[in-house]
Order: sequence, then C-alpha cells, then structure tokens
Amino acid sequence: MANLICNHCLLSFPERDAIREEMDGSRHVFCCHGCRGVYFLIRSEGLADFYSKRDWDGPGTPAEPLKELDLNTFNEDVRETEQGREIDIFIEGIRCASCVWLNEKFLLRAKGVLSARINFATHKAKIVWDPDLISLAEILKRIQAIGYKPRPYRESEQFKARRAESRDLLVRFGTAAFLSSQLMIYSTALYAGYFQGIDPGTKIILEIIAMVLTIPVILYSGMPFIQNTISGLRHLHFTMDALISIGAGSAFIYSVYQMFIGGTVYFDTSAMIITLILLGRYIESTAKGKASETIEKLAELAPREARIVKRSRDNTKDLSTEETALVLVASLRKGDLIKVLPGEKIPSDGMVAHGESEADESILTGESRPVRKTVGSEVIGGSVNLFGTFIFEVTRTGKETILAGIIRAVEDAQAGKPRLQILADRIVGYFVPAILITSVLTTTGYILRGASLNDALMTGVSVLVIACPCSLGLATPLAVLVFTTLASSRGILIKGGEVIENTSRLDHVVFDKTGTITEGKPSLKETILLDQSMDRQYLLRIAASLENLSEHSIGRSVVGAWNGDLLPVCDFRATPGRGIEGTADNKAIVIGNKAFMKDHALIAPDHTVPIGALTFPYEQAGDTVIYMGWDNILRAIFVVSDCLREESANTVKEILLQGKRVTVISGDNRITTAAIASAACIDDVVSEMSPEGKRDYIRGLQQSGSRILMVGDGMNDAPALTEAFVGVAMGKGTDIAMESADAVLVRSDLAAIPYFLDLSLRAYRVIRQNIFWAFFYNIVAIPLAISGVLHPIIAAGAMAASSLFVVLNSLRIKKGARV
Amino acid sequence: MWTLIFLIFLSLVLGIGAWLFFIWAVKSGQYDDPEGPKYRMLEDNEEEEKDNKKGHP
Repeated sequence: MANLICNHCLLSFPERDAIREEMDGSRHVFCCHGCRGVYFLIRSEGLADFYSKRDWDGPGTPAEPLKELDLNTFNEDVRETEQGREIDIFIEGIRCASCVWLNEKFLLRAKGVLSARINFATHKAKIVWDPDLISLAEILKRIQAIGYKPRPYRESEQFKARRAESRDLLVRFGTAAFLSSQLMIYSTALYAGYFQGIDPGTKIILEIIAMVLTIPVILYSGMPFIQNTISGLRHLHFTMDALISIGAGSAFIYSVYQMFIGGTVYFDTSAMIITLILLGRYIESTAKGKASETIEKLAELAPREARIVKRSRDNTKDLSTEETALVLVASLRKGDLIKVLPGEKIPSDGMVAHGESEADESILTGESRPVRKTVGSEVIGGSVNLFGTFIFEVTRTGKETILAGIIRAVEDAQAGKPRLQILADRIVGYFVPAILITSVLTTTGYILRGASLNDALMTGVSVLVIACPCSLGLATPLAVLVFTTLASSRGILIKGGEVIENTSRLDHVVFDKTGTITEGKPSLKETILLDQSMDRQYLLRIAASLENLSEHSIGRSVVGAWNGDLLPVCDFRATPGRGIEGTADNKAIVIGNKAFMKDHALIAPDHTVPIGALTFPYEQAGDTVIYMGWDNILRAIFVVSDCLREESANTVKEILLQGKRVTVISGDNRITTAAIASAACIDDVVSEMSPEGKRDYIRGLQQSGSRILMVGDGMNDAPALTEAFVGVAMGKGTDIAMESADAVLVRSDLAAIPYFLDLSLRAYRVIRQNIFWAFFYNIVAIPLAISGVLHPIIAAGAMAASSLFVVLNSLRIKKGARV
Repeated sequence: MWTLIFLIFLSLVLGIGAWLFFIWAVKSGQYDDPEGPKYRMLEDNEEEEKDNKKGHP
C-alpha cells in the first residue's frame, strides 16, 4: 500500500488513514484530525507561509489531542514587570526558523500579548502579557493549538554555572583577540624594521607598546592557565595549561630582557599562544553547551508534588471520598496517604491502601508489561500509574526509595569511573618535562662551552619559547566541533570531546532490550480467529471499540491496529489486571486474560484445537495473550507484543560487520529476551538483570579487557550507562539515563549507532594527525633555538603553518561522512 | 615622531572603543542566540496585512 505524507507534520502514513480535504483548488492530506485542525487554524490566521518557509528534513510530531496543562508548574515562574507579566517557557516541537516565526506571530495575534520572542538556539520563549486582557492559561493554549508543547523552563545550577563559564571564556578570548590584533600592527612594524633597518628610538617605543598590550593578555586572559598551572605543579602534573603558561611566560620574560639589550622580541608569540588556546576552549565549551542544553530540555520534570489525603477523625469513612491537598514530594513522611490519578507518576515508594490499578514500571525494572496493583501491593516511586485511581501509604521517603538507590548507584559509578585523559593531555604530560630537560641541557651545554651565564640562560629560555605549540589548543576542539556538528545532524548529541577517543576504541556493543532494541510499547502482533464464521475485521473493530475506552497499554495496542471508525459501546466496565466488558453491536462482549474468561464462563468453541496449544508458542516467546468472546463462547485471541524497532536488525548487522561483539541485556525474563534477541540477530543474551546486575556485568567485561558501548533508555540502565566505556541513551528515555550517558540519540534512531562508531573513528584519526602537526613545526624549530639562531619570524611562521594545517585537516572529517 | 605617537594613540583609543563595545555586546546577551537573526532577517512583516486583504477564512 502506498504511503502518503501528511501536509502538516510530514509524517509518512498508510493511504487508508488519509483525511482528505479540498481547499482553494488544491488537495491536502493529513494523517489525523489533529493535524488537519492545526493546518486550518494556521491558515485561517493567515500564517500559511509557515508551510512554504519551513525546511524540515524529517517528520515532526503529529498533533496530539490537547492535554490539560498543569498551570501550577508555570505560575511560579511568572514575574511582574512594568509592562505586565513576564514568563520564560520552553516550547517543545520547534525545529526550524519557521516554527519560531509561527509561534511568535501566533502569540502576538492574541490580544493582550505584548511581546513574544523565542531564542532560536535554546527554544526558550520570553512572553510579556497584560494580565487584564489575557491569562497565562490562554497563552499556553494558543501554543498548544498550533501543535507545540509549552513546558516550564528551568535551569539547573550546573547549567547556569556552565553558561557563566562560557561567557567568561568569551570575554577573556575577545579581550585577548582584540589586544593581539593591536599587537600585530606593532609586531609587523618591528619585523619590517628588522629587514629594512629601524631607528632605535622608534623601535623601543614600538616594543614598549607591544609589551603594554601583552601584559593584560597574560595576566587577565591567561589567568585561568596560570592558576591551573600552579595547582597542577603542586602535584607535579604537567598539563596543557602548564605548557601554555611556560610558553607564554618564557616568551614574555625573554622579550623583556631582549628589549633592554636591543635584541628581538617575541611578544606576539606570547599573546597569540593564549589567544588561540582560548579560542579552542571557547569552541569546546559552546559545542559542549549545546549538547547539554538539549539534554536538559529533553529531560522530563520529576514529580515534585503529591496529592496527600487528609485523614478525617472519622476513620471508618471511605478513603476515596476524603479531601486531598497538593504538597511537595520532599515534605512527605512515612505513613502519609497519597492519591494517584491515572497517567500520573507515583511520587514515592509505598503500599496500596485503597483502590486498584496497574503500573508501568518498565523504566525502573525493565519489565515491559504493566504490573497489577491491588490493596497491599508495593508501588515504586517514579513508575507511572496507568488507568486506575488508588491511594497508597508511603513506606519509604527521600534517600531510602528505590529511585534514590538507583541514582546513588549512578553517582557511585560516575565517581569511580576512571576518566581517561584525552590524547593531547597525555602527550603534554611527557612533552613538558622533555622540553624542560632540553632547556636545562642547552643552558648547561652553553656554560660548559664557556658562554656567559646570560647568553646560556637566554638560549635555554628560547627553547621554551619555540617549543610551545599554539595550535595544540585548536587541534582537539576543532575536530570535536566538526564531529559534534555532524553527529547532531544525525540526531546524536555528544557531551564531551573525550567521547570521540573512547568510542573509536570500542570492541563490544551492549543493548538494553525494552525501549532500546524494542519500541518499548506493546503492539498487536496477531489476531487468531476461533470462530471461523466471523470476519477478522469485524472482530478487530469490536475489540478496538471497547479497548478505546480503556487506558490500558495493551488495550491501546489493539486500538492502534484498527484504523476504521468505532462502534458505540455502552455498559462499559473495566476490572484492573483482568479485563474489560461492555455492550457493542447488541452483544455483551468480554475481553481480558484467561482468568477473566473463566469468571465469565466463556469456553472455546469445541471444534478447534485446545486453546492452550494455540497460545503456548506465543507465551513462550514472551508475548501477552488476551481473549475476546461473547455469549459464553470465545471468538478470538489477540497476541500483543513489544515489537522490535524497525532498524534494530540492520543496525546489529552493521555493527557486527564493523567487527564488534553485540550483546542484549535485560531485566526481563529469559524467554522474552531470547526471543527478541534472535529477531534482532543477536546471539549473546543476558537476562533477568537488576540495575546493579547490569552494571556489574559491564564492569566484569571491562575488567577482562573489553571496551563497551552501552545503549539503554531506562532508569534501570543508568548505572550501566555510567559504568560503560561509552554510554548512549535513547532520546525518548528517562532523564536519569540521559544524564548518565555520554551521548544521546535524540530521535531514538538506532541506525545512528554504526554511523556514530564510524564517525568517531575518523574524527579520532584527524585529532591524532592534528596533534602531530601541531607539534611538528615547533619541534623542527627547536634545533634552531638550541643553536642560538632563533628569530621571531620563525616562531610566527611555525605558529601560522601549524594552525592553518589543523583547521584544514579538521574540515576533512566532513568529507568522508556518509549520512 | 609626534605624528607616530599621535597615530599610535589614536589607534589605541579606537581599539579600546571597539573592545568596550564588545564587552557591552557580551553583557547584553548579543551572543546568546547566534542562529536566530539570520532567519529573522528574511521574514516579511507586511504579509499579515496582505493575507488579510486576500480574505482568507
């Protein structure tokens, strides 16, 4: 069947679902009524240019039915200003300049909105409005109406600190760059003077100005390097910062001395070293900042409020009718009664005291099927309540909860993870002592040969001056910048430069099962007819009509498989953990598990094979089987399973082709895991693992010499993601997983992994070349310094040649990229 | 000689002016959204009226 592209969200969808509309002589197709509605709203506001302006390369989020927003989470961010009220919010779903344009225009159309400005890079909107004319709720509804999602905008302390650091670097770099450019004017004059002859008076004036310009570069812009050098030298660490301080400092001291004896000066070398290194650091911090910003945006807000049940004096009263109040999760105490509504996150660990429901604990335990909760069952904080309302008694709070335990495991792993020094730092660790020794040897050599102490010392210092490779500071950041740009265009966010080096040396890829190689949500796999006289479509239609009223994830999978219109249903009733019943098409229909069928005395039509034999293979493969019937006879069996991601098998094959081992690891049972693994072409299976078990498994493998890439999405993967050499989280995963990982797949597209591995390999090769060439020109010039014929022109030439090489070489990463 | 000193002085004054301008730009957040302006520049602000005149529903 041909696929069509939705005119609004660009999603490809099967033709039979199309909603067609004719307008102004042209035809439009939409994937759903939501998209159609948004399309007409945008057109009717005269903003249809959005469709011609946008330049998306992939499908966006289809319009979802409007969900009620929790205004309380926004209200605390509202500020009162002179013009009116002001708020910063984050708008989810913005993908291009046209989205920004559409949102701004659409908000400004509303009466009472005074200004709306969206930051293109961060998707943060600043909205000012007049509270007398429009309410915040209406503004947020407008954003929702055109298919975007407003979210409270919060910055973590860590994030604020990072931004302040980046701004500080920019000021330091800008200042250094300005002073260096001024300095170049005088240096050029001095070079010209060297070749053409210069009046000594003019020379000294130019040199003094050059010195005055260099001092702030070293003392202000270079201050972080000097501080790091001092703290590093206390532990006898020779870092890049030490090399820079030694290089720039010795060039400066040498120049001041030469200035007085009428020799040549190296002020420009001293300033340029610091400027170029600062440029590298700034590039690095923006690349890093962009990734962490996006991750921060992806992260879901943890439940911060809980509905506490106020106990009245009359203990006999039914709990469910008691009044509730919203309190902060942090203030909960043991024994508190908390009410949880359908779809909410369970705020803390506890035991169900009233009501029943099912909880989705997959992010915590890896179990893909919903877990039934009745009075007396334990609930885990952070899991999601599916469809019933229940009240539970808090048994653990704060640090004692299972969730806090997992977070602690992640923190432990983070602290214990040996952070590999990046290549440049490792080389510098050897290079600095080597250069210091060369310098000392040169000085002693000159003294032994009878040179004056002065000459000997200055020659020794000149070795230090020429040895400092300016472009070393650019070698890694530039390659990292090109790498992160390429990676992010494929939907991979990289948290830091060291990821490249680590990824390029991997030999083993471990996948989590639920939500990583599978979709993480159940879908209808098969419908088995027990009553052959029935039409398959008709049965599916009835089932979907009933399940449509249920919020159950398994029910949703049946609804998802049916694309036609639904039948009216009356007398609907759901029994949590068992099934649903209702009347449709004049039949009293029952859908549910085996026990539910027994309760309703439904039996199999006698001419078929035993039901058990039919369902056994599916149950063994880890699928969930539900039954449907009416009038005491079973009519159909639905097989629901968590299906494999489309790209999983191909991804695994590609990784195997790259010569790496592939393993699947899961908290789920052995049979299910093995079934999924074989479908994804993975032979190596590890199942029934707790979060700590996964971490220990990874640790064990790494201790025996493997270098592991772990891909996961859930909270239960977080410790393993941190422990692994490189952790990759799915963008649709939990925030803790994304925080623990080194990289995030924004679109949850596994096919990006082989690309990521390949790209890292190439980028790392370029980094190594860059570092080699950054050192090369300077090392070649060292013999000149030792022989005492060093000249500023040589230093400047080495600097320019190596910098140019590093820049051009870094751009080469782009060339081999296959997207 | 005096022309030289005067010119040096002038270039330093101009340079410091540019530097102060840069500091102001960073402080006032000009570098916070380097991507947006290039797209904003291409937006037509008059088209609202144009579209309304056309009488879209």
